Amino acid sequence: MTAAFEKTRTICGYCGVGCTVDVLTRDNRIIGIQPAMDGPANEGALCVKGQFAYDYVHHPDRLRHPMVRNADGVLERATWKQALRKAAAGFLQSAERHGRHAVYGIASGRTPTEADYMMQRFMRAGFGTHFIDNCSRA
Amino acid sequence: MSNPLSDMELPDVAFCIGTNMTEAHPVAATRLKKALARGSKLIVADPRRIHLATLADLYLPLRVGTDVALLQGMAHVIVRDGLMNDHFVATRTQHLETYLEHIAKFTPEWAESICEVPAADIAKAARWYAEANQGAIYYTLGITEHICGVDNVQCLCNLALLTGQIGRPGTGLNPMRGQNNIQGAGDSGAIPDQYPGFQAVVDPDYRRKFSKAYGREMDAAKGITKVTAMEEAGRDIFAMLIDGENSVVSDPNQQHTREAIESLEHLVVIDIFLSETAEMADVVFPATAWAETDGTFTNTERRIQRVRQAVTPAGEARPDWWIISRIAQHMGLQNFDFNHPREVFNEMCSLSTTYAGVDWDLAATGRYHWPVPYRGHPGTPRLHEDSFPIGRGKFSLIEYRDPAETVDETYPIWLTTGRRLATYHTNTQTGRAGGMDYLAAEEALEVNPRDLEAWDLQDGETVWLSSRRGRIAIKVAGSKRSPMGTVFSSFSFSDTPINTLTGSGYDPVTHTAELKVCTVRIDKMAVADTVGG
Repeated sequence: MTAAFEKTRTICGYCGVGCTVDVLTRDNRIIGIQPAMDGPANEGALCVKGQFAYDYVHHPDRLRHPMVRNADGVLERATWKQALRKAAAGFLQSAERHGRHAVYGIASGRTPTEADYMMQRFMRAGFGTHFIDNCSRA
Repeated sequence: MSNPLSDMELPDVAFCIGTNMTEAHPVAATRLKKALARGSKLIVADPRRIHLATLADLYLPLRVGTDVALLQGMAHVIVRDGLMNDHFVATRTQHLETYLEHIAKFTPEWAESICEVPAADIAKAARWYAEANQGAIYYTLGITEHICGVDNVQCLCNLALLTGQIGRPGTGLNPMRGQNNIQGAGDSGAIPDQYPGFQAVVDPDYRRKFSKAYGREMDAAKGITKVTAMEEAGRDIFAMLIDGENSVVSDPNQQHTREAIESLEHLVVIDIFLSETAEMADVVFPATAWAETDGTFTNTERRIQRVRQAVTPAGEARPDWWIISRIAQHMGLQNFDFNHPREVFNEMCSLSTTYAGVDWDLAATGRYHWPVPYRGHPGTPRLHEDSFPIGRGKFSLIEYRDPAETVDETYPIWLTTGRRLATYHTNTQTGRAGGMDYLAAEEALEVNPRDLEAWDLQDGETVWLSSRRGRIAIKVAGSKRSPMGTVFSSFSFSDTPINTLTGSGYDPVTHTAELKVCTVRIDKMAVADTVGG
């Protein structure tokens, strides 16, 4: 039983060193991680987290669908359309009631840059404010 | 970092302060170990006798929160003993005279009276660093997570300016960033005072540029920091969009954070798990995890690198950028019809000064350290080679300040916090990885064995740990890493939420919390507490 596996070149998602790794996958699951010998930051080295702490990607606790708080105050499964509508309506409503400086965005140091860029774009283009920060102050 | 990671193999003297590198940035530490194997000298300043301290040629065990005293003492010795780099200060710095007057009072004996490091060792560290051909400074949150975080960094800058240990291979001021893309988060403009590429929001030219690009008039004034936004929640702030941050566990003064979030009218959280913060939201969106999406990260040496999708997303999870752009569209906002991360990244590059010379395809080479000011520019692995962004480097005049809290009769113990090798942050990921759970299944408060004895505690005993902000139950573990009178815990475990206790103060400039120092008390549990659960 040595079914073929695939390798995808990427960057480790833990600390800021940015080690280059190859993610080994089979049947759409991660089965291993290898340090890249030609990774500029790591040159073949990798730490215990980077090498082994990937189970979480396939963990049953992963959020698999949007959720919306219902009339009874309980978070329940929702469609993307329902969730996006409710998210958008809430921001519009708070801005309407209290002004555009009532809305705040917190971006992440864990997500790709595109997510952070989109967060600041959302606040700046959406409200004209600089009410945006990220977790580097935590 | 001013210098690339590969430079870590070069210095003949490395000065590490407030960085538990072998646990928090293990692979960077391997590069430093290569320098040590060649015979480089290592100076380590840290209140805890961390592994790096055991590798040091000179270990400076300073009391928590007294970095300014130690560093000013070193600067004083450099000036006093004629160890200054005269050519560098003459050609690359300004305000030297005022600084020399200022530094005269900070004798190493004065420093010792505050930081508790022997004056002779302070002088030795100063001499080694100043006399090195290539002297490099490495630091992490042990420097910045203080009410005087900016002061600490400026003291380090002063040392580099005095000695000219900057702008050359194997030198520099090198902060190690803690999160995979915390650099990218700042670069992308997700901060209240700068547009993408660190273009100041108060600059009218940049305001015009982004008002045009985003199709609406931008505020002329800076925004507020996250810390201020949490303080104003329920009063001026009523809605929040939080992406991928478990604020309730990671932020200081946990009760305050929880109340702030509860007081919002509208909370939307994007995450990969239903974190403690997501549980409080009105709407939760499932984001793609690492290895499920394409994008870019920028690392601690400012290297822009591509991340790639290896598996299909869990369930209906979507990329964060997609979710945010679709919320925008549902609000009726125009020009949010992005369909691929390439489009997002390329737009950012086109508006950024630091990323102007790269795009999605060039980022895939992983060769570029920003700034890359124009197309064809090779990138900038080493900053400040010929000049500083402000021209000549400016010495800062810094006074020592005590931490926001100092030990007293009620709270007689120092608490400091940090990371561990086998856990990451609030443990939402490493806590769900089999082997990691085996390596670090629970948290224990590190207490010096002599303190355990003095305080009549057994190794492994569960105690109450209290500060002015709250109380948690936690096991104690004897450890010589902790100096007497100082205890340590990581912030990774939500069942020992150490950030219930932290949050005594914030740096007035950056609003970074003093997570590295607060004062606490340890109380034995009554029998009823332990039996009753």
